[in-house]
Amino acid sequence: MELFTPDFGLVFWMFVSFAILFFILWKWGWPVIMKGVSDRADLIDKGVEYAQNAKQQLDHAREEADKYIADARRQQADMLREADRMKSQIIDEARSAAQSEAKKVMDAAKVSIEQERKQAEQQFRNEVSSFALDIAQKVVRNQMKDEKAQEQLVSSLLDEMEKQN
Amino acid sequence: MKRNIFTSLLLAIVAILLPLGAAASESHPADSTEEKSGAVDAQGIIFEHLGDRYGWEVPFNHHKSIPLPVIVWGSDGLHVFSSARVEHGATYRDGNAEFKVAGKDSPYKGKVVEIIDGKEVKPTIDISITKNVCGVFIAVLLVIWAIMSVARWHRTQGMKGPRKMTGAVEFVILFIYDGVIKPTLKDKANKFAPYLLTVFFFILVMNLLGLIVIFPGGANLTGNIAVTLVLAIITFLITNIFATKHYWKEIFNPDVPWWLKWPLPIMPVIEIFGIFTKPAALTVRLFANMMGGHMIVIVLTLLIFIFAAMGPAVTGATAVVSIIFSVFMLLIDVLVSFIQAYVFTMLSTLFIALGQEDGHGEHKKDEAHGHDAAATPAEAPKAPATNPA
Repeated sequence: MELFTPDFGLVFWMFVSFAILFFILWKWGWPVIMKGVSDRADLIDKGVEYAQNAKQQLDHAREEADKYIADARRQQADMLREADRMKSQIIDEARSAAQSEAKKVMDAAKVSIEQERKQAEQQFRNEVSSFALDIAQKVVRNQMKDEKAQEQLVSSLLDEMEKQN
Repeated sequence: MKRNIFTSLLLAIVAILLPLGAAASESHPADSTEEKSGAVDAQGIIFEHLGDRYGWEVPFNHHKSIPLPVIVWGSDGLHVFSSARVEHGATYRDGNAEFKVAGKDSPYKGKVVEIIDGKEVKPTIDISITKNVCGVFIAVLLVIWAIMSVARWHRTQGMKGPRKMTGAVEFVILFIYDGVIKPTLKDKANKFAPYLLTVFFFILVMNLLGLIVIFPGGANLTGNIAVTLVLAIITFLITNIFATKHYWKEIFNPDVPWWLKWPLPIMPVIEIFGIFTKPAALTVRLFANMMGGHMIVIVLTLLIFIFAAMGPAVTGATAVVSIIFSVFMLLIDVLVSFIQAYVFTMLSTLFIALGQEDGHGEHKKDEAHGHDAAATPAEAPKAPATNPA
């Protein structure tokens, strides 16, 4: 039965030992460990979260880059097309400008030629008329040397006027 | 696999050949000393090994032991002397008082007694540093060293993962904390975790120390009722000191039909009885489990000597079988050491958690039962408590 009767000395020392053990661990052991473990868990959680974010951002960045590249390509194509368009437009404009300029020159030339021609025609007419008048004078002088012929003419002219009226 | 077969074959051959070889030598005259001493005093040896003593025995030597201080309060005050002085029935005179270790026939068998007028008188107080007390000190130092190494790691190495022993200890700490304390005590876990973890490691180290046969092990600590009693009393005190109003209300005025409380307060009596059966169960289960394990190993070893009377052949066979079985038992005891420490911690957690219940928890539990049969986490660890180990 001695096994079932607690010995006072052992009970006493057991209490003392446990009290000391508990005090030491309670004061310097467990709080440090618990805090350390939870801090480390937090750190790991944060690390995982960070890695996930980084991966997401990386994926996103790739997408973004692809988007930018595609954008740039499109812009490039747009610009090329625009340049092409502008080129032909400029050529067209230049052509039409040249045409209109040429036309203007031609028109001006035509006008001056016409004027010249008209002037020449006028001059020619004036000259022809003066020639004709001179010739007519000379003819008339020759024919109208006698009075009779003058009267005959006057009368014929008068007749003509009468007929007209 | 191949290797296992080989090993077992080898063992079988040895088991067969050894007794045969011994039988062959039977013609030689048997050891004379054995016949003189007669039958082995099995009971005496078992109780000597399971019990406590002044001084710590060393292997292969029955005459010398490591002396430990004897501290007694005799009839004329305090006496402190070495246990070597009272070894082997010697009487020691300290001042006017005479001391000796009581013999087998005395009611104070194995304890230091004062001899007054030829009569053996038990000293008023005996707080000697016995083998078990010394074992407790060693266990305390080991626990402090193990836990402090983890704490130091956390202080100095910061967020680095611990390695080797530190890592192993930390793993066990977290195993107990996350597996037992946190799910049962929930938000109050941090308040009681220091006590529960300390208890766990203290018991575990004491259990394992008990399995080592030579100094600094060999003291049957957790197989001693005084040790388990103290631990159970501390759990009992913590449970009841920190208990909530609800806990006390459930004891004195439980939620049962009125005729169970009036005129005969059957339920309150049962509940009050229950307060004290809890620590008693804690005490006995740990004590009995560890003592049983030690006893089986000792008995198995003793079998060799008991059968020695029946001739060398039987002795040889018994030796092989006994050793195989006691090694097996010791390995099981390693497992049991952990399991018992775990169970003690778990039950303590549970008892403390019962003392922490407030009305809300009860309602929630009822609801949970109403909706589905899924056990709440607080209940889960209860299951092993019902089957006595």
